[in-house]
Amino acid sequence: MKKHRGIKMFYLIVMLIFLYAPILTLMVLSFNASKSRSRWGGFTLDWYISLVEDGGIISAFKTTLIIAFLSALIATALGTAACIGMQTMRRKFRRLILAITNIPMLNADIVTGVSLMLLFIAARMTMGFRTVLLAHITFNIPYVILSVMPRFRQLNRNTYEAALDLGASPLYAFFRITLPDLMPAILSGFLMSFTMSLDDFIITHFTKGAGFDTLSTKIYSEVKKGIKPEIYALSTLMFVAVLLLLWLVNYHPWTRRKNDNGRKKFRSVPGIAAVLVTIICATGLLSGCGSSAAADYNDPNSLFIYNAGEYIDPDLLDEFEDETGINVVYDEFETLEIMYPKVESGAARYDLICPSDYMIEKMRKNDLLKPINIDNIPNLKNIGESYWETARSFDPDNTYAVPYCWGTVGILYNKTMVDEPVDSWSILWDEKYKDQILMQDSVRDAMMVALKLLGYSANTTDEKELREATELLEKQKPLVQAYVVDQVRDKMIGNEAALGVIYSGEAIFTKRENPDLDYVVPKEGSNIWLDCWVMPKNATHVENAEKFLDFLSRPDIAYRNFDYITYSTPNTAARELIPDEDIKNSNIAFPDLTKMSGLETYSFLGEAEDRHLNSLWREVKAY
Amino acid sequence: MPVKLIDLQHITKRYDDNTVLDDFSLYIRENEFVTLLGPSGCGKTTTLRIIGGFERPDSGTVLFQGKDITDLPPNKRELNTVFQKYALFPHMTIADNIAFGLRIHKKSNDYIKDKISYALKLVNLEGYENRMPDSLSGGQQQRIAIARAIVNEPKVLLLDEPLGALDLKLRQDMQYELIRLKNELGITFVYVTHDQEEALTMSDTIVVMNQGYIQQIGTPTDIYNEPQNAFVADFIGDSNIVSGIMIRDKLVEILGARFDCVDTGFGENRPVDVVIRPEDIDLVKPEDGTIEGVVTDVIFKGVHYEMCVMSNGFEWIVHSTDCFPVDTHVGIHVDPFDIQIMHKPESEDEKAVAVDE
Repeated sequence: MKKHRGIKMFYLIVMLIFLYAPILTLMVLSFNASKSRSRWGGFTLDWYISLVEDGGIISAFKTTLIIAFLSALIATALGTAACIGMQTMRRKFRRLILAITNIPMLNADIVTGVSLMLLFIAARMTMGFRTVLLAHITFNIPYVILSVMPRFRQLNRNTYEAALDLGASPLYAFFRITLPDLMPAILSGFLMSFTMSLDDFIITHFTKGAGFDTLSTKIYSEVKKGIKPEIYALSTLMFVAVLLLLWLVNYHPWTRRKNDNGRKKFRSVPGIAAVLVTIICATGLLSGCGSSAAADYNDPNSLFIYNAGEYIDPDLLDEFEDETGINVVYDEFETLEIMYPKVESGAARYDLICPSDYMIEKMRKNDLLKPINIDNIPNLKNIGESYWETARSFDPDNTYAVPYCWGTVGILYNKTMVDEPVDSWSILWDEKYKDQILMQDSVRDAMMVALKLLGYSANTTDEKELREATELLEKQKPLVQAYVVDQVRDKMIGNEAALGVIYSGEAIFTKRENPDLDYVVPKEGSNIWLDCWVMPKNATHVENAEKFLDFLSRPDIAYRNFDYITYSTPNTAARELIPDEDIKNSNIAFPDLTKMSGLETYSFLGEAEDRHLNSLWREVKAY
Repeated sequence: MPVKLIDLQHITKRYDDNTVLDDFSLYIRENEFVTLLGPSGCGKTTTLRIIGGFERPDSGTVLFQGKDITDLPPNKRELNTVFQKYALFPHMTIADNIAFGLRIHKKSNDYIKDKISYALKLVNLEGYENRMPDSLSGGQQQRIAIARAIVNEPKVLLLDEPLGALDLKLRQDMQYELIRLKNELGITFVYVTHDQEEALTMSDTIVVMNQGYIQQIGTPTDIYNEPQNAFVADFIGDSNIVSGIMIRDKLVEILGARFDCVDTGFGENRPVDVVIRPEDIDLVKPEDGTIEGVVTDVIFKGVHYEMCVMSNGFEWIVHSTDCFPVDTHVGIHVDPFDIQIMHKPESEDEKAVAVDE
């Protein structure tokens, strides 16, 4: 017997560890003074403090509360009304309707999210506060019905009739008699909706638009830049908040007392919770609502920017706002492939977007771009001529694209782990470095490496050449430690691999962190990429956009931006301002393009070809 | 003769394909205690709900003091209902429950206070003003429900099986309470029940219903002693119902024996149903009876013995204070006025069909 108890205990503990170890780790890390994930640097509350001071997160937090509160409130009203309607239906019909309202709850979030996005696009609604609110109301209603309907069924129908009988009008009887009886269920429906709304990421992600973030989408975009300890703190707070709400709704001791005389008390528990939620939200609303919720594309004094994550110094945005009085709404996309459909459909409207070469070509060919009048932007004279020339490979007359950042793809290697000189892609096929090689998990970059080694163009569509490259990559696969994206940087800094394919901009940063690392662009040639600002066809704040580009191209500003994001700037005047001679003349940041051969930008190969490349890449990864 | 207070004329009510009431007509006089009695599904509750305004008939008219109230909503009707499941408002005190109707009708606070204490006194629950409904027993709750209804001084009180959820002893106490209330208040009671004993105890008039049709209307004595058809006879108390042939007026043949009776007008040699109450059968010596039989079963019931007597293939139920042991040969004797002759229904349907008025 005793033995059995021991096994039970053991099982329980294992189960608890299994369930809660991840969250516990996160909580512990949120108090860790060291930024490292593997070292304990003492107890601190700094992350919580800097969290509170982070304007972006606080504004997202307010937005989250407002959305959660409003959507829960509206969904509760609609859901309760729906229950009243369903209650009077015939049983068979009611069951059918109930089943129909339950389906969205079981539906995958991603399906709900995508279909809502499509609907909003079809209805020509601008993505933003309104669409997210509508989406949240939509997915909250089933939860309200789920909570209120059973209570309705338990309800003594006679009490309502008794009220009518005593002379009450139907409306009075409903509000005075039926509603108080339903109240506990309505309140828990409200709290459930509120929690669901706080919790949602996927649906918000698909229905949000320019300059709009809830906590979960904010955290997601922050995490992509590398996980900051503030996020641990925030996640801890969120976990505790949701836990508290759930406990209040479900397990508070008061709720168990409903069978003796504590009926009134029982009713007040969800009530107290709802009042708390209301107060918190009202405070949020009163304290200025967060600019994000108010982003309005029709405001002539604004500028909507859509950029990749961590791709500008945020201080510069504030400075620009102060200098010009223009209200900047700044948004980030994960990948160009996500950016493209949003812009193409017009679901999200922006004035400036920063895509890469091949994407600019695709947008130009699909007539999504508006010409930029270079004459209105005097500071563009600071952009070096060679970059304009590179841009002509995808924008032949320099009509649409203003160069912003550029770089190459090369090999990052650890000097202590690689003894021979690195100058060729072929080292990535060297058996010596088995399990020490990191490849980019990106079809164009991986194919480029193989194609260049074979002496072909990175933009080839020749089936024979592509086949050879594919086979070469398949041959390399046993040697590769992992196909990754951002982790190349982290793993190389942590000495976890000897060789990795990486972008030059990352190389500067990683070299700073780990001096043993070095970067080289192999002699066979590589990809040179150029990201440029473009203006979508439907942009209306043209003048503001021109001011912004002029501001960004000012040498001092461009220099500070370079210092922050470490990607090579095409601004030659800015380069002159770099105080550190090593960096100013760095071969990584500013290689002499004239001495390098075989550098190519990626061109847009067409959608059919993209698909074909992707299938070849899948073949490699499945090999 | 008191006037017609409520007059239901040609009411028809259907739920889907199920006709609950079909061309149903009934009037209720002032100060009457009328009971609608019948098995579940007979339409008695529907009738009450139509009077109360909770259901609208598909066709027909409801008159109240001669005025058409068919389309009047319940809150505009001068009558109040006491529901089967009490239907007290769970989140209000007893006093607030009782005052609910008065407040809606904008009575003064003093008036309301007086009325509350009057009503609580009437139902013997003084001092319960500040209790919550769920701290009261079922019987107490039901009395509060009655108090809540009567403070509004309705012309009619509708009661939908108000004692159905109570246990036997409490039910009997409440029956007397209701009779007392009715007498004190002098208002009309329309009472719905499936319990024949309850109906017989309290009512001035009983309306026996089955499958949406009125089977018989009469005083409790009429209903019990002179059921007009087999359904009523069977539903009200225990009965021996046996097929017979009306030989001529005042002579009926049952099981091959001829009995004298008092009924006339059934024609000659007509098949009829004969009802004889168990307590109206006298067991005598075999040679003294109209027909012979053998006792097959005896059960002691407290007040009397219940015996089964087999004769000519029919099992009589007999109630008697004298006990005849099993296997005793007995004679059966029935006084002529204890024999109730009824028309035989000619089809199954007719069993339920309305009795001619």
